Amino acid sequence: MSSRELAINFSALVDDFWAHTIDGLAVGSIYALIALGYTLVYGVLRLINFAHSEIFALGIYASAFAIHGMLDITEPRAGLSLVLTLLALLITSMAASGIAALVMERVAYRPLRRRNAPRLTALITAIGISLVVQEFLALRYGRSRLNPQRLFEKESLFTFLGEEVSNDKVLVFVAAIVLMIGLDQFVRRSRLGRGIRATAQDAETAQLMGVDIDRVVMLTFLLGGLLAGAAGFFFLIFYEAARFNIGFLPGIKAFTAAVLGGIGNIRGALLGGLLLGIMEKYGAALFGGQWTDVFAFMVLVLVLLVRPSGLLGESLGRTRA
Amino acid sequence: MKHSKFLRIAAVAAGLSMLAAACGDDDDSATTDDTEPSGEVAEYSIAYVGPLTGDAANLGIFIRDGARVAVEEFNEANDDIEVTLEEFDTQGDPAQAPTVAADYVNDESILGIVGPAFSGETKAVLPTLEQAGLVMVSASATNAELQDVVPGGKSFHRVLANDAAQAKGLVKYLTTSLKPTTLAIVHDNSEYGQGLAVNQLAAQLAGTGIEIVATEAIDPDSEDYSAAVNVVKSAAPDAVFFGGYYEEAGTLAKQLKDEGVEATFIAADGALDVGFIEGAGAAAEGAQISCPCNLATEASPGALGEFATSYQDIIGNEPGTYSTEAYDATNILLAGITDGNTDRAGLLAYVEGLTDVAEAISKTVSFAENGNIEAEGIFLFEVKDGAFAPLVATDDL
Repeated sequence: MSSRELAINFSALVDDFWAHTIDGLAVGSIYALIALGYTLVYGVLRLINFAHSEIFALGIYASAFAIHGMLDITEPRAGLSLVLTLLALLITSMAASGIAALVMERVAYRPLRRRNAPRLTALITAIGISLVVQEFLALRYGRSRLNPQRLFEKESLFTFLGEEVSNDKVLVFVAAIVLMIGLDQFVRRSRLGRGIRATAQDAETAQLMGVDIDRVVMLTFLLGGLLAGAAGFFFLIFYEAARFNIGFLPGIKAFTAAVLGGIGNIRGALLGGLLLGIMEKYGAALFGGQWTDVFAFMVLVLVLLVRPSGLLGESLGRTRA
Repeated sequence: MKHSKFLRIAAVAAGLSMLAAACGDDDDSATTDDTEPSGEVAEYSIAYVGPLTGDAANLGIFIRDGARVAVEEFNEANDDIEVTLEEFDTQGDPAQAPTVAADYVNDESILGIVGPAFSGETKAVLPTLEQAGLVMVSASATNAELQDVVPGGKSFHRVLANDAAQAKGLVKYLTTSLKPTTLAIVHDNSEYGQGLAVNQLAAQLAGTGIEIVATEAIDPDSEDYSAAVNVVKSAAPDAVFFGGYYEEAGTLAKQLKDEGVEATFIAADGALDVGFIEGAGAAAEGAQISCPCNLATEASPGALGEFATSYQDIIGNEPGTYSTEAYDATNILLAGITDGNTDRAGLLAYVEGLTDVAEAISKTVSFAENGNIEAEGIFLFEVKDGAFAPLVATDDL
C-alpha cells in the first residue's frame, strides 16, 4: 500500500478522538497567540506583516539562548525553581520578540508609511525582513536543528475522557488563554486600547481627535511581538527544537487562523487558532500526517467561500467596551 | 588541506623568486625541474568529492576526514610517495556536481576519487567520469540503480551494500533476532524514507508473520508529529520503524516516548548520526539503527577500533557514519598507487574486479563486475549510554 493514495481512515479519528482534540487545542493555542500579531497589525494598518513569523522565531531563539546562555540549565527542574525559571524565560522571550517587533516597525515600516508607499511595498518589505532574519539565524546558529535542554519532565497530569493529558499541554493551553484574555481586556478597557480601536476604525479622524498614530502603531507592534514571544517560548517547551526557518510554517498557519476567525478580530484569532489546531489534527488522523497542511488550508478555503470575512468578521474597530 | 595550501604558497614564492632571478640574469633559471636527483619523492593526487558545506555538510565531512586519515597514515608510512587529498565541494547537490566535476576531471594529476558522496550527484557525473576514465569509489552512495547509470561502465564502485540490501538485512534481523509480532511504520514521505520503509521493508515483511499495524507519515518541515504518535500509541506495536533522517528520527523518538510508547525504535542509515541522539535525548536509549556501513567506535574490536583511535588523533573527534567506508575506499586507491598504477587507466584497471581487499576494515570488500560490492550484509547499532554501540551484523545471524 502506498501512502500517496488518499485513503480515509475513520477509525484513526474515532479511536483517538480525544487525543487528537487535546493535541489540537495545545497547538491551536500557539497558533492563536501568533495570529493575534497578524490581526492587530492588520486591524490598525491594513498590513499583513509576513515578517511576524520571524518575530515568533526570535522568541524561540531567545528562550533557547536563555536556557543555555543566561540560566545555564542542564537538567529538568521542578518545584519553585521551575516556576521561577519558566517565568524568567517567558519574560525574556516576550521582551526579545517585543523589542524585535518595535525595531522592525521603526526601521522598515515607518519610513514606508512616512512616504505613503503603496501597500504592496510594505508586503515585499515584510518578505525581505523575513529572509534577512532567517539567514541571520542560519549564519549565526547553523542550519541544522538545535535541541535545547528539557525544562521539566513531561508527565501525565490528569486523565480526560480516557486520555492522559500531559503537563506541558495544560501549561501551554492555560497560559495562552490567560494571555489572550489579558490582551482582549487591554484593548477593550484601557486608554491605550481605545487609541488602537479608534485608529482601526478611522485613522484620520482618530488623529484629529488627538490620538498619536505613531504611538498607536508602535504599541500595536509591541503587543503583537510580546504575544509572539510568548508563543515562541511555549513552542519551545512543547517541541524542544529550534531551526533557522522554524517560524515559517507556524507563521503561515497562524495567518490562516487569523483569516479563518476574521482578520482584525481579536476573539476571531483565538477561535481561528483553536479551530485550525483541532481541524488539522483531525485531518491528519483521517488522511495521514502528510496531509496535515493540505487539510488545514482546505478548511480555510471552504470557510472563506461561505464567509469571506471569516467566522467572526473583521472588526477590531467595532470592538466596543 | 593545510598542507596543499602551504605547497601552493611555496610554489608561488618559488615562482616569484625565479622571476626575480630571471630579470637579473637569463641563463641560470632556464631548467628547474621538480624532480630531485636523489631520494626522489613521487607526488600523486586523489580527490574527495562530496558536500563540505550546505545542509549535508556533516555527512560529507565525516567521509572527507576518513579519507584524510588514510592519506596521512599512508604518507607517514611511505617515504618515496606523497599523496595529496584534493577536496571538491559539491554541497551534495546534483545540480552543482557536473560543474565541480569539470574541475577534477580536467586536473590530470588526480588519479581517482573517493566519492561522490550522494546517489543523486553520483548519477549526475557518472557519464563524465566514465568518459575521462577516472575511477570512483563511493563510501556512501546507496541508491540501488547506480550501477546501471552507465551500462557496462567501469568507473563506478562502492564499498557498501545498496538500499535494497538494507531492507533485506532489516527483514533478516527482524525475523530472526528481534522478532516483534507487530510493527508500526512511520516515514517522512521522502524518496529515501518512504522508499525504504514502505516500498521495501513493508513489502518484504509480507508473509513473514510480522504484522504491520500502522503506516503513518510525518511532515519533516514541521515539529509536530502528534497525529502519527497518537496512531502509533493506540496501535501499541512491539516495534516502530522510522524511514527518514536523523533530525526527524530524534524528534519522533522523543515524542513517542513522551506519550508513553515503549516500542523498540528502529531506524536506518539516515538516522545514524549523533544528531539523532542529541535530538531524542534520553528517548534515544535503546534505539536500534541499521546501516550498510560499519560505524567505528573506539570500543570496536580490532582494526575498526584502531581506526577510531587514529581518527581521533588525527581529526580530533570520533569518526561518524561512512568514515570507515571512506577509509577503505581511500586505502583501495592508495594500494593501487603503491602497486605502480600511477595513471588513471592503470588505477582504473587495478580497482576493477578487485576481490577480498586486504586493507578493508569495514567488511569484506570484493567488487562485482558492475562495481557493486558483493557482500550484502548490513550492520545494526544500538544507542547505549548516549552513544552508538555495535549490536549485530546480519551476516552473523
